[in-house]
Amino acid sequence: MERVLVNIPSNPIFERVVRASASELGQAIGLPPERVEDLKLAVSEAVNNAIDHGNRREATKLVEVVFVLEPDKLEIHISDQGQGVEQLNFSRRTIDESNLEGGMHRGFGMYFIGALVDDYEVRSSQQGTVMTLRLYRKDAIS
Amino acid sequence: MSNDVIRREEFGEVAVLHILTTSVDTNSAAAIEATASQAAMRPITVLDFANVAFINSAGISALLKFVVSARKAGNKLFAMNVSPHHQKIFKMVEMSRFMPTIEERDLASYR
Repeated sequence: MERVLVNIPSNPIFERVVRASASELGQAIGLPPERVEDLKLAVSEAVNNAIDHGNRREATKLVEVVFVLEPDKLEIHISDQGQGVEQLNFSRRTIDESNLEGGMHRGFGMYFIGALVDDYEVRSSQQGTVMTLRLYRKDAIS
Repeated sequence: MSNDVIRREEFGEVAVLHILTTSVDTNSAAAIEATASQAAMRPITVLDFANVAFINSAGISALLKFVVSARKAGNKLFAMNVSPHHQKIFKMVEMSRFMPTIEERDLASYR
């Protein structure tokens, strides 16, 4: 097992650093190109959620991302230093006429995470929230 | 009209908005949204994703501003050069219903 740690300030520009790391590591463990794209999007959404809703963009608070590379899977832990969240909604969300006209253009991020990774979990307390994402190497399982 | 993230091309009834940034995300969303005015559009408006390597939910929110502007003006909005991954993402949120894809060759008759 190998671990790669990336700490970023709560500024959205640094989400791109984490995304680039996810891309490199996904390729390094042999994920197919389409799964690497899924990984990048899921990690991007989780990190942006930690920056915006966890740390509320307070520059002094960090988002910590740990990539754990195992023979059969890539596991990513995204931690913030916020006050915790009650519940995240990973259910399917689509664009419809009512949310278009009402300007409700947010909320797709958690749906993308839930749909694009193989499994995920969220642990939240008053000390912060940790989201764990997992993508399995299909060739390692079979 | 042109800024760092969009280059506009117009011919006849068509406006093609070439997205220049490779990442349609939180960082580029404000600049993209700023170009989503009815003045930038024509009866047929096409967003060109040829340069776009990444789109996330913040980027989709920005793109929806074009959908809203186009609907208000009664314009038709299309997407062009969308990668297979982004076609999948658009399908997941049903963006394709509001911004179907078009092929570059379909625009030839307007030039």
